[in-house]
Amino acid sequence: MEDLLFYLFAFVVIGSASVVVLSKNIMYSAFSLLFTFFGVAGLYVLLFADFVALTQIMVYIGGILVLIIFGVLLTTKITGVDIKSGTTGKVQLITASVVVVIIAISLILLFTNVEWVNQEFVQPNTTIDSIGFAFMTKYLLPFEIAAVLLLIALVGATLIARRK
Amino acid sequence: MLTNFGIILLFFIIGFIFVGISIAAASLIRPHKPNPIKNATYECGEVALGSPWIRFNTRFYVIALVFLIFDVEIVLLFPWAVVFKGLGWYAFAAMLVFFFILTLGLVYDWGKGYLDWEKPNPIVPVLSDLIDGKK
Amino acid sequence: MFEQDIINKFVTNVGESIQLMQPEVALLITFVLALVFDLIFKKTRSIAGYVAILGFIVTGFLLCTADSANAGGFAQMVAIDPFSNFFKLIILLASLIVVVMSLFSKELYTESRTLGEYYSLIAGMTLAMFLLSSSNNLIMMYLSIEMMSLSSYVLAGYTKEIKRASEASLKYVIYGAISSGIMIYGISLIFGLTGTLNLYEINSFLANADINLWALLVPTLMIIAGIGYKISIVPFHFWTPDVYEGAPVTITALLSVASKAAGFAMLIRFIKVGFVDSMFGGDFWAVLHLDWQHIIALLSVLTMTLGNLVALWQTNVKRLLAYSSIAHAGYMLMGLTVMNDAGVAAVLIYFFVYLFMNLGAFFFVLLIANKTGSEDIEDYQGLGYKAPAISVCMVIFLVSLTGLPPTAGFIGKLYIFTALLQNPDFIWLAVVGVINSVISLAFYVKVFRNMYLRKVDEAKETFKFSIPSIVLMFALAIPTLLFGIYFSPIVNWAEQSVGIFLR
Repeated sequence: MEDLLFYLFAFVVIGSASVVVLSKNIMYSAFSLLFTFFGVAGLYVLLFADFVALTQIMVYIGGILVLIIFGVLLTTKITGVDIKSGTTGKVQLITASVVVVIIAISLILLFTNVEWVNQEFVQPNTTIDSIGFAFMTKYLLPFEIAAVLLLIALVGATLIARRK
Repeated sequence: MLTNFGIILLFFIIGFIFVGISIAAASLIRPHKPNPIKNATYECGEVALGSPWIRFNTRFYVIALVFLIFDVEIVLLFPWAVVFKGLGWYAFAAMLVFFFILTLGLVYDWGKGYLDWEKPNPIVPVLSDLIDGKK
Repeated sequence: MFEQDIINKFVTNVGESIQLMQPEVALLITFVLALVFDLIFKKTRSIAGYVAILGFIVTGFLLCTADSANAGGFAQMVAIDPFSNFFKLIILLASLIVVVMSLFSKELYTESRTLGEYYSLIAGMTLAMFLLSSSNNLIMMYLSIEMMSLSSYVLAGYTKEIKRASEASLKYVIYGAISSGIMIYGISLIFGLTGTLNLYEINSFLANADINLWALLVPTLMIIAGIGYKISIVPFHFWTPDVYEGAPVTITALLSVASKAAGFAMLIRFIKVGFVDSMFGGDFWAVLHLDWQHIIALLSVLTMTLGNLVALWQTNVKRLLAYSSIAHAGYMLMGLTVMNDAGVAAVLIYFFVYLFMNLGAFFFVLLIANKTGSEDIEDYQGLGYKAPAISVCMVIFLVSLTGLPPTAGFIGKLYIFTALLQNPDFIWLAVVGVINSVISLAFYVKVFRNMYLRKVDEAKETFKFSIPSIVLMFALAIPTLLFGIYFSPIVNWAEQSVGIFLR
């Protein structure tokens, strides 16, 4: 059952992600991203990462996707945008493909051949407790630094986005 | 955990089935007689002019940005809220620092006026100007 | 609910860590105060700049007076050690000088621009670079790299009404997003392989467990690609010329010195703590089946050769200095190649020297752009007669960047070559480095020739510069000369600073 669900979600993610890349209409690309995000959230749930799944839905679907769609709406041409830029020639295409294939092959070899560390695993009821505890103890500094990071992001982004 | 999320998945599936059945049923039952007026965009009786794809105002974008940042803040505060009872004042202080730094972002945006909704400022024609022949 | 002992231990640990991290706390307060003061005093545009200068001075004071600690803070999240303190001082000096430089910039002080965010973001970026140079955990490293990048994206496009500045910012964001994506992928793979993100624990895991070390190669390369992007070593350098040309001169100077220093600090720590300096004996670096030293040597050769060769054709001085800074990253990688204390000390010395000469060269570009509005090498004709005082300084910087005696640049190169020559395998690398220095002479001389040797037809008008700007210029030029002659304190200090905190 879980395997079946995994393949379902994986199919949703890969299918919608290909629509994002291949669609000629950026609006369709943006909406297709919705399914990618949902599928990834489903995969997180299958990995027993409930907090990450909820974060995915809240932040990515609730925030970032909205932002992307606003960004699309800000452009002058929405339909029929020519995605291909004029300068992408054969040379770049071939080199990029070769690099991508090499990376893909090495990653596939890595995933199939390596013994990953298996820490003893109990299926948790919820992970939020332990995440909160980790935030307050071991990862206190990254937690506080995340606030500074968000502040910098806020100041920088509004600065760039404002009209003047 | 999976059982709880399974219920959510079940809701999804039922939702899809429900919508699918209603659309299928509607397409079986409904009459199909289109004409150009029926196919036109409904604009309260006006004739639709131009493309509906217009550019959005930038201010929506800024508001969405601010929303996104505080969305992330809420997500990060949520685990803290679950455990802070067992951790006491120390955790409370840690959260206050976090919260203070981010609130500063809101203060910054507010103080700089990025949150103000730019209202259109129409120039109302004055009668005397019209009589004098000015614009 | 949780064990009270663990919590109590943590509260004490947090107290001690904050004691250790006073400079960082001071920087955080500077950043916050700069934002707040900018909101309160709307009339004074430079108020945030003054706050930043004050905050940097306080931070520097705290940094210098701190006990020479060698400890980990926040549960080994960061390491406060002489090594990070050295880099922090370089970063702080660079940021301070850049803020002072910005006060003179006409490019920034145009009619309606607000500058509060500019100075606050520099303070925030400095905080990020501080954390980066002492971070000991891959998560901390990623967070601080992101923080540094976010502020530098905004700063690079700060003059956004100028088209090339927004173009620079956009290119920077796109390349940066991809490289940080690759890096966090690598981090996640490392976590999967070793079950930890802490560099010490990675090291001890490698010592005890029997894992496929080949598998470690892919994520390690990914992380090196992410850091390599920040310090613009060659396969990842494509953004550098465009961003350096488009960004305001001050930000170009900051990116070329401070963010490069932070990136190098992280790279050295990642390699040395994670793989080389083992507490359990054994050098996992060598075990990784690939000759890593030669990979880094190759990167260094590519970096300096490409930087120097392409610089020969540049006509824009900022772009020329961008390629020159790529080449300098290559020289510094040479020091990293030998992977021992002498090599690291040489990199530290080089950075200290590079700070003065590179910032000085950019300050010259800024002052000239203030007067002529141009950064073209053609427009530098006759500057040696129009602006004699600062041109002499520029000549010092150029000589030092080439690495000729009696300037500090020579000392930097000397120590790097000495470190290389101790290892007979790398004599060829030293030879390549010397050849590259000779090539670099060609384009530095091009600037010099335009300034002094080309005849100007116009009447002899002279440029007047304000006293403070000339003072700053000499404050950069004098150390460049002085450390070329009297360098033993720097060398001693750098040799004491190679100690990386090991648990």
